Amino acid sequence: MAGLSKRQARPLVFLPYFAFLAVFLVWPALYVFRSAFERSGAPRSPMIEAVTGQYRGRFVYSLQLSFASAAIGVLVGSLVAIAVVQLDSIRGVRSALVGYSSVAANMGGIPLAFAFLAAFGMQGLATRLLREINVDLVGWGFKITDFWGIVLVYLYFQIPLMTLILVPALDGLRRTWHEAAQSLGASAPQYWRLVAFPILLPALLGGFLLLVSNSFAAYATAFALSSGSSRLVPVQIRFFLQGETITGKTNLGYAMAAWMVLITALLVVGFQALVRRSERWRR
Amino acid sequence: MNRSLAFLSVTKSFGKTLALDHFSVEVAEGELVSLLGPSGCGKSTALRVAAGFENPDSGDVMVGESSVLGSPANERGMGLVFQNYSLFPHLNVRENLEFGLRVRRSSAAVRRARVTELLELVRLSGLDDRLPHQLSGGQQQRVALARALAVEPRVLLLDEPLSALDATVRVEVRDEIRRIQRGSGIATLFVTHDQDEALAISDRVCVMRSGRVEQVGTPRAVYRYPATPFVARFVGRVNDLAVIVRGVGIVALRGSTSGFSVPQSGPSSGDARLLLRPEDVRVVGLSDDALARGRVEAVHFGGATTSVDVLLTPSNQTVRSTDATRNVRCEVGEEVGVVFDTERALLTREP
Amino acid sequence: MMSGRKLWWSVLVVVTVFYAIPMVAMTRFAFQRVPVIKLSWSNVFDKWTVAPIGETFADPNFRSSALLSIGLSVATAVLTVLLLVPTMALAHLRSPRVRRWIEVSAVLPFVVPAIALVVGFAGAFRGTAPLFIRNPYGMVPLLVITALPFTHRTIENGLSSIDLRTLVDASRSLGAGWNRTIWTVVAPNIRGSIATATFLAITVVLGEFTIASLLLKNTLPLYLAYAQGQNPQGAFAVGLVLTAISASLIGITNGIGRRSRR
Repeated sequence: MAGLSKRQARPLVFLPYFAFLAVFLVWPALYVFRSAFERSGAPRSPMIEAVTGQYRGRFVYSLQLSFASAAIGVLVGSLVAIAVVQLDSIRGVRSALVGYSSVAANMGGIPLAFAFLAAFGMQGLATRLLREINVDLVGWGFKITDFWGIVLVYLYFQIPLMTLILVPALDGLRRTWHEAAQSLGASAPQYWRLVAFPILLPALLGGFLLLVSNSFAAYATAFALSSGSSRLVPVQIRFFLQGETITGKTNLGYAMAAWMVLITALLVVGFQALVRRSERWRR
Repeated sequence: MNRSLAFLSVTKSFGKTLALDHFSVEVAEGELVSLLGPSGCGKSTALRVAAGFENPDSGDVMVGESSVLGSPANERGMGLVFQNYSLFPHLNVRENLEFGLRVRRSSAAVRRARVTELLELVRLSGLDDRLPHQLSGGQQQRVALARALAVEPRVLLLDEPLSALDATVRVEVRDEIRRIQRGSGIATLFVTHDQDEALAISDRVCVMRSGRVEQVGTPRAVYRYPATPFVARFVGRVNDLAVIVRGVGIVALRGSTSGFSVPQSGPSSGDARLLLRPEDVRVVGLSDDALARGRVEAVHFGGATTSVDVLLTPSNQTVRSTDATRNVRCEVGEEVGVVFDTERALLTREP
Repeated sequence: MMSGRKLWWSVLVVVTVFYAIPMVAMTRFAFQRVPVIKLSWSNVFDKWTVAPIGETFADPNFRSSALLSIGLSVATAVLTVLLLVPTMALAHLRSPRVRRWIEVSAVLPFVVPAIALVVGFAGAFRGTAPLFIRNPYGMVPLLVITALPFTHRTIENGLSSIDLRTLVDASRSLGAGWNRTIWTVVAPNIRGSIATATFLAITVVLGEFTIASLLLKNTLPLYLAYAQGQNPQGAFAVGLVLTAISASLIGITNGIGRRSRR
């Protein structure tokens, strides 16, 4: 390997990494798209069929859920982030909350579903406790497997994710900008409208997009809560493509997966663009 | 003399730390006064009290004839420039400059005219579309200065505006600041820990230490007639020699027996320290009359001036002499004599 | 502004309660043998036992799934480090362009959600390399890719924080080959990042459900999902332990991060 002294490394050395990605990421993705366009006797392209009729409802449902959990997640997560920064002087507050947020943001899947079933399910602890103060969730028709139930569960990782995104952004809001604005005559509302909010906007928007894509792709939690019969897109895909059973709708399943990739790609690209712009300012 | 800004016995503590201790200083209209001192001396705190970001425990701050302590920070009419991160990063130069005017709801026409005027003032016309991160450090500070002046403040507060800049840029920008300040006639408070800066551009220098004023005066007065040993050591370079006081106004270098005269203030017996400026030490040949003798340890060439370090025997301490380069004729290793001009020297027991 | 502070404190308190309730409920369900209906203030401290864990451990299905999950975690962590460290170090040293490509490529897994990735993988490999589908360890490449955005960022931070060029030049000038340089000189200097990447990979794999579910491989999360029907208390108990382990791993990585910043 003596040839690697001063010249550019020969591209060949990077081959293992990119080959790995090509085989295990790009090829499966391409396969999904190829199968998504295979008609095999059906009247319409699966890509079209996947988003019309009853299947369209699945996408709408998934997206609604994603937007709802993202919107609430951004709101509450931002409040938590602001609270952490405002109470920074008190020892332990920041490390405790940022620390737990990094744990909770990665939580998901089966244990999380279990935890919420144990808390808010029909036999849940919180359900029981709320009955003590005359709040009857069951009587209201609240079910953890319904739309708002799932939103509640998703919030468990959406809120901390937003907190983790916004706390550094708030840290980056220099005190000197606030003081400069004040010296130029700006009142507190003017400062927020003209300085703080515009500077935080990329983080807020980017966070929103990330939360939407995070929720949209979630599978395990939905699966566990609904025992495999959910109306969400990822579970639906599984239904079409599981194991060896030929459902006759495999291409439809691939089409749905392809649409998922497209939507997620849009969200991620949007997120990256916003992040890039705000980094330019911050330098 | 019209006074624009006055601190009247301002005291401020942060918990157990006393940042300002009955601090009093006045800045007249058109004057540039520096607050000079080491970190922690309270100079930034004083500026922040004036700006309204801190409230003093006691004392008053007046602009013109009235106190400003009752007004919030955004109503004090003071221009502010920070050490860094002054400019709003998401706004370009023009939008930064017109920020104060937007807040006052000035019309677009007024704003446009004023921005053009300001850009010419700081000699940055044509850069109005740039974002702050596309400007150099020096350019950013000039824009920050222009932005502060945009709303015609009564007082200008500069908090170490040059400290984050490269050495060469620093001199440029500081001269710009002085030029603009002179032109606009605004009373200016300039906080810095760099005494070269303070001496170069101030009308008066206020040397601070531990929240108190050590000395206020013109740069010349503070340099040539330091009131306290702290000022002598902090402003400019000074020789700090160990001496023994033989009597009132007579001292001898440690280890030597020959006494010489010094100003009569200060301790009258025992060990002491003599503070002597390098330009008050002259290097002479061995054959000439000299106060002490020694060997040249080093010669520092500084362009217009040259400094010579002489290790004195038997005193065994080094003294530095600074003179115009063309007067310096010795070399390293040479045996020479030194002569002191002690008229402005300070005798003290403070270490 | 004291009233301002109270507002933010109440925000934190509310959120903390929200974070705590599910965990408390899960703990109670797992370790207290009192059905919720019969729960009252009088028997709140009765019948607590750790037996459910023991019952689960006795299940051979559990043991095999736990072993598989652990094996997959280790394999994923090892493959990740082997793949990333030399490649990224080389890119840092020789080609900023490739470094940028690697950065972009590390975000791609976000674009392809796990469900899409696994169905594409199953379809593509079924015909050409069915071994990857039959053998549970065939999942490892997919798991490496799932963890890639996080592990890449960690190693990137590590490599940026050391003087890579000096280390490599010094090592090479003393005669070491590239491999030796990477593993005996560079890696120890970014051991914090490597440890963090390893823990992140383990955390990801321990919690990964989608891929295993579709490939019908009996990993721990899958076992939990199906055990929910037969032995709910045991399943919840193990779920809790799993969460605690992941939380500890992340806690350790946070600690590593904090120490290196000093």
